[in-house]
Amino acid sequence: MDLLRIQHLSVRYDGKDILSDFDLNVAKGDKIVIKGRSGIGKSTLFRLIMGFNIPDSGIMSLDGVPMDHDTVWDIRKKIAYVSQDTDIGEGIVSGLIDEIFSFRANRDVLDKEKLYEILSILSLQRIILNKEYITLSGGEKQRIALAIALLSGKDIFLLDEVTAELDIVLKQKVVDLFFGNPEWTVLAISHDREWENFVPANSGNNMGKGIRIIDFPEVTN
Amino acid sequence: METYYIGLTGLVFSFLLLLIPLVISYYLKLKLISATVESVVRMVLQLAFVGIFLTFLFDLNNSILNILWVLVMVFVASHTVLKNAELKTRSILPMLIISMAIINYSMLLYVNRFIIDLDDLFDARYLVPIAGMVLGNSLRANVVGMENFCTEIKRNENRYLFSLSMGAEKTEAVIPYLRKSMRVALKPTIANMATIGIVFIPGMMTGQILAGASPMVAIEYQIVIMIVIYVTTMVNLLFGILVLIHKGFDDYGMFKKEILRGS
Repeated sequence: MDLLRIQHLSVRYDGKDILSDFDLNVAKGDKIVIKGRSGIGKSTLFRLIMGFNIPDSGIMSLDGVPMDHDTVWDIRKKIAYVSQDTDIGEGIVSGLIDEIFSFRANRDVLDKEKLYEILSILSLQRIILNKEYITLSGGEKQRIALAIALLSGKDIFLLDEVTAELDIVLKQKVVDLFFGNPEWTVLAISHDREWENFVPANSGNNMGKGIRIIDFPEVTN
Repeated sequence: METYYIGLTGLVFSFLLLLIPLVISYYLKLKLISATVESVVRMVLQLAFVGIFLTFLFDLNNSILNILWVLVMVFVASHTVLKNAELKTRSILPMLIISMAIINYSMLLYVNRFIIDLDDLFDARYLVPIAGMVLGNSLRANVVGMENFCTEIKRNENRYLFSLSMGAEKTEAVIPYLRKSMRVALKPTIANMATIGIVFIPGMMTGQILAGASPMVAIEYQIVIMIVIYVTTMVNLLFGILVLIHKGFDDYGMFKKEILRGS
């Protein structure tokens, strides 16, 4: 069964069609790269899946549960969404992380050892936890958000241009991290080649189905 | 001790003082002449009206009328809060009035019963002026706090969305904004309390002393009033923001930008 189903999704924004009769089916373990020119509305798709924008028509469901104003809260608890302009908040990084893991949905999820491990994979030093979030560079903020997503214990990821501000080595590391886990379902919007060029290590295995590339449809009015 | 009445001559001399700001405004081209004149005229008219009205209210001293007048004050205060916080009144006003009415009536009754120990809990001479002081201060804090809450959540929308996408319930996601706007709005009240008596002698104390009360009586009232103002301001502010949280978001937890004026 499909994990995420999107059927006949249409949305207009500021009098402009962003999506028209859009369909997408995602199975567990799928790795999808979404491409398309800037400003076409790729981010809107993710915002729709998270329930941050409401479609004009169409149906979305996760795990067979159709999304509405009731179920959206549970859907959000299952999906980790990181976007290019994710903002975690004001204050010391470790405090912000603690706050996120004090939410009822995430309590007892935070594993400090795992946090340190992820930081080192993302080439971040532990000292960053004591810094003011606002003083971090774009790339550092990006990686902190990714680390939080990785720590959340979720297995569905919506990643919107998360490697844009990283150097080549780090881009590859992040792609390997997310696309390398056969259990995870990952949708990535990106202009970076590393995502579409990823070759699963276990291609022979039934889970490693390879990467699906979706060209975001151009809607003509 | 007797009170010296100011009288007509005194008032004329006080209006004479207004020539100073008008002359300064004229020579420095501050463009404040019409605003100054308008404000003074409004103040005089409103106070004249209130003077007449309060005389009438105090003479009559009818409990039900006093209670209703406080309700009018609550209504005007709530309306002013929303207007100054750049919020549309339609969806928020009724709830804000109810919450402010409950909070302020309870507080006033508590003060009159347990602190001043009045025989008539609804005595106009106490109920109305104290309600005025408390509401006036709450109003200021609510404007700052509610406006701050909305601008912060609008400006830092991504932070709010990140909390939601990390599985936060609405209450969990809005708490940082509630904290921040309450702190910002309460700071002046707290600072005020700490400097009172030294930096400035508050209007109520001045008024009581001028009217012939001994400084010790004035101080007792001032202490009580400061505490009552602080407590009521905080509770009014908290409930004002809770009303916003309740009314200002849709079922998906998205902030309704249409509650802001000019949207």
